[in-house]
Amino acid sequence: MRVGVYFCRCGPGLDGQVSGKIDPGAVRGAVESLPDVAYFEVVDFACADGGQARILEHLAAHRPDRVVIAACSPRQHEDTFRRVCAQAGINPYLMQLVNIREHVAWVIEDPERAVDKAIDQIRAGTARVLHQEPLEAAELDICPDALVIGAGPAGLKAAMTLAAAGRGVTLVERGPILGGLPVRFEEIFPTMECAPCLLEPVLGEILHGELPGPIDIRLTSTVTAIKGFLGNFDVTIATSPRHISVDACVGCGMCIEECPTSVPNALNLNRTTRKAVDFELFGGLPNVPVLDEAACTRFTEGSDCTACLDCCPVPGAVLFDEVATATEKKVGAIVVAIGATIYDLSQVTRLGYGRHPDIVSSWDVERLLAANGPTGGELLTADGRKPRTIAIVHCAGSLDADHVPYCSAICCQTAFKDAHLVESKAPGTQIVSFTRTVVAPGKEAVDLYRHAFDGPHAVERRYHHPGDVEVRVDAAGGLAVSHATGAGEPEVTEVDMVLLLAPMVAGPGPRELAGVLDVPTDATGFFAEHNARSDATRSPVRGIFIAGTCQSPMDIQGAMTQGTAAAGHALSELVAGRTLRVDPATATVAPDRCSGCRTCVPVCPYQAIDVDGWTLKASVNSVLCAGCGTCVAACPSGAIAGHHFTDDAMHAEIEAVLHA
Amino acid sequence: MATKPKLSVYWAASCGGCEIAVANLHERLLDVEAAFDFVFCPCLLDTKKQDVEAMADGSIAVTLFNGAIRTEENLEMARLLRRKSQVLIAFGACAAQGGIPGLSNVSTAADHLRTIYLQGPTLDNPEGTIPRRQTVVDEGVLALPGLLDQVSPLADVVEVDYTIPGCPPESHQIWAVVDAVIRGVALPPPGSVLGAGASTVCDECPRTRGDKRIDQLRRTWEIDPDPDRCLLEQGVVCVGLATRGGCGALCPQVQAPCIGCYGPPEGVTDQGGKMVSALGSMIDIEPLKGLPEAEIVARIDAIFDAIPDYAGCFYKFGLPGSSLKAAVAARVGVSAQDDQ
Ligand SMILES: Cc1cc2nc3c(=O)[nH]c(=O)nc-3n(C[C@H](O)[C@H](O)[C@H](O)COP(=O)(O)OP(=O)(O)OC[C@H]3O[C@@H](n4cnc5c(N)ncnc54)[C@H](O)[C@@H]3O)c2cc1C
Repeated sequence: MRVGVYFCRCGPGLDGQVSGKIDPGAVRGAVESLPDVAYFEVVDFACADGGQARILEHLAAHRPDRVVIAACSPRQHEDTFRRVCAQAGINPYLMQLVNIREHVAWVIEDPERAVDKAIDQIRAGTARVLHQEPLEAAELDICPDALVIGAGPAGLKAAMTLAAAGRGVTLVERGPILGGLPVRFEEIFPTMECAPCLLEPVLGEILHGELPGPIDIRLTSTVTAIKGFLGNFDVTIATSPRHISVDACVGCGMCIEECPTSVPNALNLNRTTRKAVDFELFGGLPNVPVLDEAACTRFTEGSDCTACLDCCPVPGAVLFDEVATATEKKVGAIVVAIGATIYDLSQVTRLGYGRHPDIVSSWDVERLLAANGPTGGELLTADGRKPRTIAIVHCAGSLDADHVPYCSAICCQTAFKDAHLVESKAPGTQIVSFTRTVVAPGKEAVDLYRHAFDGPHAVERRYHHPGDVEVRVDAAGGLAVSHATGAGEPEVTEVDMVLLLAPMVAGPGPRELAGVLDVPTDATGFFAEHNARSDATRSPVRGIFIAGTCQSPMDIQGAMTQGTAAAGHALSELVAGRTLRVDPATATVAPDRCSGCRTCVPVCPYQAIDVDGWTLKASVNSVLCAGCGTCVAACPSGAIAGHHFTDDAMHAEIEAVLHA
Repeated sequence: MATKPKLSVYWAASCGGCEIAVANLHERLLDVEAAFDFVFCPCLLDTKKQDVEAMADGSIAVTLFNGAIRTEENLEMARLLRRKSQVLIAFGACAAQGGIPGLSNVSTAADHLRTIYLQGPTLDNPEGTIPRRQTVVDEGVLALPGLLDQVSPLADVVEVDYTIPGCPPESHQIWAVVDAVIRGVALPPPGSVLGAGASTVCDECPRTRGDKRIDQLRRTWEIDPDPDRCLLEQGVVCVGLATRGGCGALCPQVQAPCIGCYGPPEGVTDQGGKMVSALGSMIDIEPLKGLPEAEIVARIDAIFDAIPDYAGCFYKFGLPGSSLKAAVAARVGVSAQDDQ
């Protein structure tokens, strides 16, 4: 075989970044004497247009079987030189880039040793390139549409961005209304905006706007199965019956008036009731009630009540016979935005949650203070008194190795918001904040932060260890917070209400959905990222993106930004009409050598490996495979080979370095 | 009567098990005898080295050479039989990969002599006598073959045409090869492995297997394994998945883990390395995520501490044939021979 070697000086003459240290004249002899080397050609700036043109011309004239370019890092210019080879009619995978700049010229002081090492590297590259095989990138057709799972701030923003770009979007939401957590809130930090109003424009666009891409909204639905890969997913969507037609119903609420069955309303801490047919939340969109099978006597007792149907002014709105359905959809990309939940505070026994109705969580308080909450927005204790003193306990269970080890990022600001709301709704209430370390980053948080501690009725107490603060309930139902300061007896403060800032936790949602989508979660239970810093909205599986609090605790701004980012990823990976180029440097299984031991399956970070149930042979899906080589190393049978990184090529390379 | 092709079977550093495997052909030995002129087999026949030396070069059709190359005598016989044979087959794990004798490569030959003859706790050797190549006694000179520095597979010292792996090779596999030769079936290209599968022992193992997530390794006496489930998944280090098939998965079928005697599967050069890297991929890291680094290291170490002898576990039959090959003499320039 004839190998053509090009040496890039990375600069002019002997002053280049490479030739300043490695004199090509000193390398030439050794390289030319290698058995398969046909020629050794020196170029000034190989990557510049002129350099590329020179190499192209030279390649076209000499037509080597293999090409070695001794220049810089493949990270920088492998693609450049692959293109040059392709233009010269040489398969780009028959070129090996040897890095004599970063690996030699930049790091070796002594020019003689630099020359020796450069020769070693070029010898290794030459030995390797002889084993390289021509590879062709495959091109696949793609479906440009997307699936968004979860209709909170993150999912809504993703859906809107995708639809604005003209993409068909299927928006799957488990609940009966859109908006996620914030539609249940009154006001939001950092600027005390009205939460439902913030979402209003987004919801308006999605429900009634003129976005170029159609949005297929599936409420009371979840994704139960998925097959395929980037550009070609087949998803199964299961929808449970709402019994009220979203299309027909006009939201007049007459059915609610007439419904004879009331049940406690958990959303309002069971302090109010709701009807068996009722709005999930007053003001929630779409403005259509839900008939709750767990409450309606037609379903609980088999009654023949038709009160709602009888009074309904719209034919076809009440659908007693609606049943659960499962439908299939084809999509090209998936954005997962299923949000998070809060930690079960009853686990932190010292804080008393669940033992007294006036020990409430930050989530409960959102409802207690909401205009559509149990008291119409007035702050009252469970027995209807105006509280004189409220304790706000930060880090209730967070930064605590026994409960939630991390900081959940949003609680301090939620506490400032709550303090602000308490002050405006019940002026004069004494607010004692038990803080541990205050987290209020960014340019906007400072106002609420000041406000929370500077007011005339505000007191801040610092505690250091999770166990330093305890909530006590006495026999008469009195509440007090005991604070161990480290000096003498704990300080005890009598209060009327205790507000516990509950950390955000992933809850079972991500793990359950991870099982369906085959994407990983991490030790905290949140979805794992492709790269937690540089690619936090990509899952390790190509074509599946993650956004919002299912990735990590964050505020609404973060969630909406991530929704947009995830949509951006989906748009750039799935350009309509474009095909998907699949890098051929993937892994392949030799079926006759595979024994189906399944060692490879769990190690693949891209879920690209399947074992056929009948033949018990593994196979690698080359679209999902990113060519990382983990399975190649793990395969104990030598049945998996990495294209472009075969054992033969790598052994030849290593041996060429070792046997000078 | 046309002359029959000549067959020889030789043992170098070996235990005799390969000869037993040949003898286990039972009445088929008669077929072998009918097809071949069995000219040399120190275990079964009386022919001597001089008789082989007297034969014309290339006059033996097939030699089944078992045993590793441990001594100068082994080396000499390997060269002699190579010269005399048209087809030289590395027969059994020792000839193929070094086998059990190959485990001695974790130390040097000089160390072995010291340990065995000078340092053993049960020794009574006040004069520090160790075996020598030549010892002069009243009656004359006694000669012993010298130890080589390290144990090698046959292919490291002479050109080998084919390999039949196994410790010992299964008799039905030996018969399959012999039968093919008798019937004149064209042999695969030289260098190929005969009498074995291309895949691994798992391919022949009836146990069910799932995704492997191991939280603890267990030695065989520590567990009464579920007879239907993959042993490795139960924490028993079964190296079947890095071992060439062909034996019929005999050991796993009787609750014993595969110990690797059929050597690396097709395309693998380092059986132990493959097994180690596979095992590393199987350790269940889920419970380790988020732990402090020192704790992770401690827990992983605790898992692997259950393996008392890495070489014996992962390279039981193939250390000399692996990329590790052998320990290098600690004292440069001192060979076993000099010490003798
Ligand atoms: C008590 C509290 C107060 C807060 N106050 C503020 C504040 O004042 N300001 C601020 O910026 N942030 C605040 N936050 C944070 C804010 O709620 C989150 O940043 C935001 O809700 C994250 O949006 P999201 O879309 O990621 O998730 P979510 O809002 O949780 O939405 C997720 C959606 O996905 C749906 N879903 C879940 N599972 C599935 C499934 N399997 N299939 C289909 N759909 C599913 C859910 O029903 C939900 O509609 C607060 C959080 C809490 C807990």
